[in-house]
Amino acid sequence: MGCDSCGGSCSPQNYLSFDAGNTHGPESGRLAAPETIGRLIKSAKRPLLIVGSEILEDDGMLDRAIAIGKKGIPIAATGPAIRGFVEREYDGEVYYYQLHELTNCILDPEWKGLDGQGNYDVVVFFGIIYYYASAMLSAIKNFGTDPLIRGVSIDKYYHPHARMTFGNYSPKRQAEYLEMLDKLITVL
Amino acid sequence: MEEIGGTIKIEGWENVQINIGRIGEEEEEWEPMGPYPMPKMADLRNWDYKLLNRYKPFYAPLCDVCALCTYGKCDLSGNKYGACGIRMDAMQGRIVLLACLVGASAHMAHGRHMIHDLEHRWGVDIPFDLGTEINVPAPLTQLITGIKPKKIRDFLPVLDYIEENIVQLADALHTGQEGSYMDFESKALQMGMLDSLGKEVADMVQIAYYDMPHGESNQPFFEVGMGSIDTKKPTVIVIGHNAPPTFDIVEYLTEKGLEDEVEIGGICCTAIDVTRKYQKAKIVSALGRQLRVIRAGFADVIVIDEQCIRADILKQAKVVGSPVICTNDKAMHGLVDRTGDDQDEIIDDLVEGRVPGVVILDPFQVGKVAVEVARKMHPKRAKKEYILSDEAFKEYLESCTMCGSCTFACPQGLRIGGANKKALEGDLEPLIMMFDQCVGCGRCEQVCKKHIPIVDVMVKAARPVIEKEKGKMRAGRGPVRDTEIRQVGAPLVLGTIPGIIAPIGCGNYPNGTKDVYTIVDEFASRGYIVTLTGCMAIDCGFYLDDEGKSVYERYPDDFDKGCVLNIGSCVSNAHIHGAAIKVASIFARRNIRANYDEIADYIINRVGACGVAWGAMSQKAASIATGFNRLGVPAVVGPHGVKYRRAFLGRRDLPERWKVYDTRNGEELYCEPCPEHLLVAAETIEECLPLMAKLCFRVADTSPGRMIKLTHYIDLSMKYLKVMPPDWHLYVRSETDLPLAKKEYYLQLLEEEQDWKIDWKKKKIVSGPVKGVDPSFNPTLLERLLPEKR
Repeated sequence: MGCDSCGGSCSPQNYLSFDAGNTHGPESGRLAAPETIGRLIKSAKRPLLIVGSEILEDDGMLDRAIAIGKKGIPIAATGPAIRGFVEREYDGEVYYYQLHELTNCILDPEWKGLDGQGNYDVVVFFGIIYYYASAMLSAIKNFGTDPLIRGVSIDKYYHPHARMTFGNYSPKRQAEYLEMLDKLITVL
Repeated sequence: MEEIGGTIKIEGWENVQINIGRIGEEEEEWEPMGPYPMPKMADLRNWDYKLLNRYKPFYAPLCDVCALCTYGKCDLSGNKYGACGIRMDAMQGRIVLLACLVGASAHMAHGRHMIHDLEHRWGVDIPFDLGTEINVPAPLTQLITGIKPKKIRDFLPVLDYIEENIVQLADALHTGQEGSYMDFESKALQMGMLDSLGKEVADMVQIAYYDMPHGESNQPFFEVGMGSIDTKKPTVIVIGHNAPPTFDIVEYLTEKGLEDEVEIGGICCTAIDVTRKYQKAKIVSALGRQLRVIRAGFADVIVIDEQCIRADILKQAKVVGSPVICTNDKAMHGLVDRTGDDQDEIIDDLVEGRVPGVVILDPFQVGKVAVEVARKMHPKRAKKEYILSDEAFKEYLESCTMCGSCTFACPQGLRIGGANKKALEGDLEPLIMMFDQCVGCGRCEQVCKKHIPIVDVMVKAARPVIEKEKGKMRAGRGPVRDTEIRQVGAPLVLGTIPGIIAPIGCGNYPNGTKDVYTIVDEFASRGYIVTLTGCMAIDCGFYLDDEGKSVYERYPDDFDKGCVLNIGSCVSNAHIHGAAIKVASIFARRNIRANYDEIADYIINRVGACGVAWGAMSQKAASIATGFNRLGVPAVVGPHGVKYRRAFLGRRDLPERWKVYDTRNGEELYCEPCPEHLLVAAETIEECLPLMAKLCFRVADTSPGRMIKLTHYIDLSMKYLKVMPPDWHLYVRSETDLPLAKKEYYLQLLEEEQDWKIDWKKKKIVSGPVKGVDPSFNPTLLERLLPEKR
């Protein structure tokens, strides 16, 4: 498995599924450097950032979500994540949507999107409970094939069902993780 | 009189054999027989397709391969076809059907098992009489089979029906059978329906045999929580779902006058069922804490029956020196069958530790053995300490290298190493919090490189909390009475009681047990009827308000506005289906006999009910939810519920999915999207609460009812998510639906954000809503109910 997320210095734990039993199948998420994921998002015709409840727990994650939003990426805030944007009085393009509903819509090529302008081609998962995100990424990988929708994770977990993903970052590597997010934002 | 079975064979005068089958009694003509008595798997397919075309199955595969036959493993990723021709979507439907098969079998077999165990003592002619306040005694049985039971014997053909159908449906799972995901889901819905029927039979059988409550309100209280056990007394811990062996323990205690000398503490549904008759028993915990209860060392003996028992029970019990008695052939754990052996010898073998456990398959031989083993083991075990010493606790904490292996093994991803470090620094709070967040699987211990008994470390940290954990729960009351339905039928259908909230199922919660309390308290305080069964009924009993009262003490247990009812165990949640059916039968005077689709159609359009399985874990939870769904009742599951792989999701942005007929004239109308989903996973409790309120909307709501439901939906969204729900306007049909207190504000929002036209002089909506309010609107999804089809 190729790994360019940390220049090859990562431990095997970095590319194990965060939930050890969550093995998948022939296709595994590609460990990718923040710049690589950033370029994928930047090159997308219709990118969407999907943020979940964990952005409210960790210092710095909500800041990064807002920073990505300010680069012109629309945001779907799922679960209580929307509270963070309301409390910060974020005036960018952010919508509350329930994650199951949203993923279901994303799988429909005819869906009009959150802004009525059409479906998305790259959807980026961020701050979502690990196993919920994993299941939704699996749905996108298996059924979002025509046209191809790329499900990407920028969470601190290795996500085997994502097209591209970071590795696993423990709390003691939080600063390193935030630095990776900053590198990604720089590319956008 | 009708002869149902029987043959006479005569082979010469000297060899006459007469076989008499069942002689039928004249059946009361209680209602005309409907179109679908004992429906087979294809009979209700049209109804299923109505649901499945509106709530398209959504799949999230856990694994991309199929490995069920030797063609495989087959790579199905990207919705590919496997070697047998099955595609990924159909494979997911197949797995869902398999889960529902296992769940339905468990409930149904539980009922059959009880009859087998009890009929030789009490027969099958025990009258099934629920008293003068219940004239629809078995709503699901009546609805699905057309049989109105009067004795336990009358349930036997019902069980035969379920068993045959389960086998036929299981056959559809074989390689080279079904290939359509829609038809797999139709079969899963059939299985869910059978599950609900099996639950009703199982609960009615135990109500009849053990004279459990017949739906009476004001049930007595009993204690719940790990702190409820008096550890100075010999203690029997019972685990499982099949209560007869535990009733034998109660009988022995009562006969010997030992009720105050020996504790019975239970985990899971056996405990719930026993406390329906014997309130000196206590419920120690729900399923999620099974391992921690065992490791805390309460049990002088562990008695297991069936379902939801740890598969490594023997290993875990050995750690704390608790002998195990297996009482059911479905869970024998490699132990020797001692049924019929001299009981004193069995007791001696267990107490002396010659065997770690025994199998006793006759429930009437369990009582003496369990109680006497507990009494003899107690003094021996009392000399030992099963909770870690302070020194051992510290040593284990010090040995933790924070390698993270436990976190990778943890279904919750708990950062145990960090909590250990904090504990070493003197802050036990993170470990105490984890004691509640932990789902009690023990996977962490297997991977710990330092062999730290992590569960024991958590138990040690949380000991002060455990010792104080003592709440009160009401005994499970069983069915909802017809008289109650007469009181609430109108307000439920009109919407002025905003809904029935039904917390059900297991303890695989995303963030601990307190969420259950929050759900119950939030909805009861808003006037919803909250009906609890199974593990969620247990978990909300631990939490006390400032006055030290649990929700069961704060709210009455009538089936009425703002009440909290413990209905009973998992099988008792059939009574929640039953309540919805009774609304159609008693309030709306619909014929329910063998009339499933019409009643489900009535419920989905009129009865605002929503199940919640916040910790759904088992296959039974899958079949329960699917059974609710076929009857037109939506369910919300917690985030772990995505691992069931399938949801039934509506699309509010596709109006064509929400067409409903008006029975008065056959006209097809666009309606608001309600209920929007049949099965959906919420990410957190903050999202769950408004979502459940939304799923209580029904197209037939009156304006006062819709106003109340809309008020709660908006209010819960503002309270927990800090935003107006993005779809609130879809549920506004007229200005009379708007919450009164902020009517003008909402009209303004509709004008500004949705471009609706408002007549500000009259404060009326001129245009905008999907459909207006029509008090006599008579909605249906079924063509057969339309005037020209009747």
